[in-house]
Amino acid sequence: MSLRLVQELAGHDDRVWSVAWRPGGGPSVLASCSGDKTVRIWEHSPGASPSSATWVCKAVLDSAHTRTVRQCEWCPAGKLLATASFDSTLGMYEKIGTEISFIASFEGHENEVKSVAWNSSGSLLASCSRDKSVWIWEVLPGHEFECVSVLNGHSQDVKMVTWHPSRDILVSASYDNSIKVWAEDVDGDDWRCVQTLAAPGRGHTSTVWGISFNATGDRMVSCSDDLTLMVWDTSADCVSTSADGVAPWKHLTTISGYHDRTIFSVHWSRVNGLIASGAGDDCIRVFDELRDNVSTLPGEGLSYEMVLKQEKAHSTDVNCVRWHPKEPRLLASAGDDGVVKIWELVGGDLPLLSNESLPYDPRG
Amino acid sequence: MSANFSVKVGRHNDFISPSQACVVSLNSLKKSSPQAFDDDGLVQIQSKKLLNPDFNQASALSKSDPVKVSLHDCLACSGCITSAETVLIEQQSTGEFLSQLDTGKKAVVVSLSPQSRASLAAYYGVTPLQAFKKFTGFMKSIGVRAVFDTSCSRDLSLIESCKEFVTRFRDNKNLPILASACPGWVCYAEKTHGADILPHISAVKSPQQAMGAIVKRYACSSLGLQPEDIYHVTVMPCYDKKLEASREDFVFSGEVNEETDGPQMTEVDCVLTTTEVLDLLATKSADFTALEEAPLDRLLANVDESEQLFGVQGGSGGYAECIFRYAASVLFGKEVTGPLKFKVLRNSDFQETSLEIGGKPVLQFACVYGFRNIQNLVRRIKSGKCEYHYVEIMACPSGCLNGGGQIKPRKGQSAKDLIQLIEVTYANDIEIRDPFSNKITQGLYDQWLGHPGSAKACEIMQTQYHSREKTVGSYISDW
Ligand code: SF4
Ligand code: SF4
Repeated sequence: MSLRLVQELAGHDDRVWSVAWRPGGGPSVLASCSGDKTVRIWEHSPGASPSSATWVCKAVLDSAHTRTVRQCEWCPAGKLLATASFDSTLGMYEKIGTEISFIASFEGHENEVKSVAWNSSGSLLASCSRDKSVWIWEVLPGHEFECVSVLNGHSQDVKMVTWHPSRDILVSASYDNSIKVWAEDVDGDDWRCVQTLAAPGRGHTSTVWGISFNATGDRMVSCSDDLTLMVWDTSADCVSTSADGVAPWKHLTTISGYHDRTIFSVHWSRVNGLIASGAGDDCIRVFDELRDNVSTLPGEGLSYEMVLKQEKAHSTDVNCVRWHPKEPRLLASAGDDGVVKIWELVGGDLPLLSNESLPYDPRG
Repeated sequence: MSANFSVKVGRHNDFISPSQACVVSLNSLKKSSPQAFDDDGLVQIQSKKLLNPDFNQASALSKSDPVKVSLHDCLACSGCITSAETVLIEQQSTGEFLSQLDTGKKAVVVSLSPQSRASLAAYYGVTPLQAFKKFTGFMKSIGVRAVFDTSCSRDLSLIESCKEFVTRFRDNKNLPILASACPGWVCYAEKTHGADILPHISAVKSPQQAMGAIVKRYACSSLGLQPEDIYHVTVMPCYDKKLEASREDFVFSGEVNEETDGPQMTEVDCVLTTTEVLDLLATKSADFTALEEAPLDRLLANVDESEQLFGVQGGSGGYAECIFRYAASVLFGKEVTGPLKFKVLRNSDFQETSLEIGGKPVLQFACVYGFRNIQNLVRRIKSGKCEYHYVEIMACPSGCLNGGGQIKPRKGQSAKDLIQLIEVTYANDIEIRDPFSNKITQGLYDQWLGHPGSAKACEIMQTQYHSREKTVGSYISDW
C-alpha cells in the first residue's frame, strides 16, 4: 500500500492545525483551520472522480476569531461548523446552500480552547482548553448554546475531546498524560468522569495528543508524545463500572517502535478500519490489525502492524490526519508547512466495514 | 457537584483550579528573558514539541527564588479566575490567628457563619445550637473575647438589599440585580466580565463585610474597645472569603485627631474556613464533642432569650426569597405567605420564581448556582435576553453549604450525601424570621444607621466593584 498525493491545497498563511471532512451528501467538502486565524472551505468538483485533483478553495472564514483556530468540526448533519480558538472562544458557522455564514461565538473558557467535538446526534458539543476544563454545551433552537456542564478532573491542559460514534460518551486527552471518559449522571443532573486511563494502570507516559474511536465504538486509539499509539477496548457496557471496580475500557495493545517523534494526530477510519497517524517527524503512517493472528479470545494476542509510511508527507510536522467519512481511499492531512494535502491510498485490499462505505457516487 | 470556579483547595479536584502558574511570578520570567515575549506582550513559545508553559514556568521559577504574591496582587490580576489557594492560606491562617491571641495586643473577636456552623454540626452529629455553643466555649478557652453570628449581620445586608432592589426596580436601572454576597462570583465577574456585568451587581456588602463594619465601626464601643484594638476573625465556608476580606474597598479610616490622619483599618482581619477550625481544634488537642457548651454572646447573634436560633430560609443567605417577599409587598401590595415555589429549570442549581398579576409576570427572580449555570445567565444578560429582576448567584454548586472550605465527606460518605445532611442540619431548629423583625438590626438602625436605606446605611453598608485588566498570563500561548 502507498499514498498518492491527489492535491496540495495551499492558501493558509500559517501552520494548519486541523482538517474536517463535511458529513452528508453532495460533493466532498473539507474545512481546514490555521494559525492565520481563518478557516478555509475546500470543495471537490461535483461529478469528478473522487481521486481527481479538482479541489478549490470556496471560502475563507475569518469572522470568528482573533487568534489561532485550533480545530474545526462539522455537525453530523453537515450544516454547522464549530471552531475552537486560542482566543478562548468557540465559533459557529452555518452552511445554507453554498453560503457559509458566521452565526455565533461563545465564551466561557478561561484561555486557549484546544478542541471541539459534536456528539453523534448533533445535540451536544464538547470543548476543552488549557484551563484544564472540559465543557459540554447543548445546542438549542435559534442558534443558542447553553453550557450543560463544566468538567474538572484533568490536572493540565486538555488537548482533545471526542465523542463516541453512537453514544453520549465523551473522551478527553491531556497534557497530564491521561485519557478521561465522561458520561452523564444517572439522575441527569450533571456529567462526571467515569474512568481515567493513565498510570498507575496502563497509560501513556507523556502528553496524549489525540484520540479516535473505531466505527462501532468498542475500541479507541490514542496517540502520544511518548511515541506510541495505544489501542483501548471495551467489549461491554462502557459507562457502568462494575461493582468489583473493573474498568470498562481496557488497554488492548501498544503500537510502539514505529515513531521517533511526537505523534500529534491519530484517526481510525470508520470505512476501511485502518489507523492513520501524523507525527513530528513529518511522516504519515498507516496501521492495520494483524488479521491472520486471530485468537479465540477477543482482544487476546491482537496486534497492529504498519502497512505504510509516507516520508516527508509535509515538509514539517504533520498536525492532523483524517480519513474521508465515505471514500475508503481518501485521507486528508494538515501540517506546520501551511498546506493541506489530499491523499489516495493505492494498492492493497481494503476491508469495507459498513454499508455506509459505498463508493462515492458522482451523481448522488 | 463537579464544577466551581471557586478557589481550589489541596487535592480536591472539584474546583476549577488556578492557572498553571501565577502570572505575577511569571513576570519575573519576563524580566529575565525578554525575548520570550513579543511586542504585544504575548509569550511566543516556538517549539510545541518541547515546551508547554508549565514546563517553562516551572523551570524558570525553580531557578529563581519563589516569588511572593500578595492578596492584593491576586485581586488585581486576571491570571487566575480567582487566585491561588496557597497565597490565601499563607496570609490568613490559623497560625496568624493563634499568634494574635498569643501577643494579646488586640482583643480577638470571632464571627461564625451559619454555613460553617452547619458543617461542624453535621460533622460532629450535634445540633447547630450545640455546635455554636461548643464553638464559643472553645474560642473563649483560647482567649477570644467575643463570638458572634453572621446570620445577624446578614439580616442587615438583606434589609439593605431589599431597599436597594425597590429603588432600582422603580428606576428600572441595571436590572437584573445580581447578588453580591459570593466573592467567588464577584471576583470572577470583575476578572472576566467587567463593565457588562458589574453595574448589575448589588452594591450591598456581604454578611461577612457587614459584620466587619458593625464590629469595627459600631459594636466596639459596647465592648469598651477602639476599632484598632480589635482583631476580627470570621469563620466561613470558603477560601474566597479571605480574598474578599482583603479588598481595599473594605479598608476604612479610624478617627482623625490633631496628630494623625486616623489609622487605616480592615473590617475583617482574618478569615478561617470551616476546615481550618478542625485544624485549630487539632492543634489545641480539643475534642469538639466533649467541649463544654458555653453561653452565647447575644450582642450580635440571632438567638433569643430561650436559646432559639433564628434566621432566614436558604443555605446561601436567602437573598432571592427575602427580597422577593419584600418587593411583592412594597411594590405590588401582595403578601406572599408560605414557602416560595421555585421552578427547577435545567438542573437543581438553576431555579426561578415569579409573581404574576393578571396573568402577567411582574417580578421574576432566580437562584443560579455553580459555574455552568452562571455561564448561561451571564450570556443571557450580555445579549439582553435576561428577563429576571433579581438573581441570587453563588459560585458553588448547591450554594454556600457546599463551599470549598467546608469539612470534607467522611470516609465512605459521598459528596451528595454530605451536602444533603448539611442542608437538613442547617434548617434544623432554626426559626424562620423576617430580617425586618430582628431586634438587633432594629437597634443598629435606631442607634447608628438611621433607617433602612438611609444615606448613612448606604455609606457603611455598600461597596464598589472594579474591572480587572487582562494580564499577560491570560495570553500565554501553547499547543
Ligand atoms: S490571580 Fe494572579 S496573582 Fe493571584 S495567583 Fe493567580 S496569577 Fe498569581
Ligand atoms: S457560593 Fe458561598 S461558599 Fe461558595 S464561593 Fe460563594 S460565598 Fe463562598
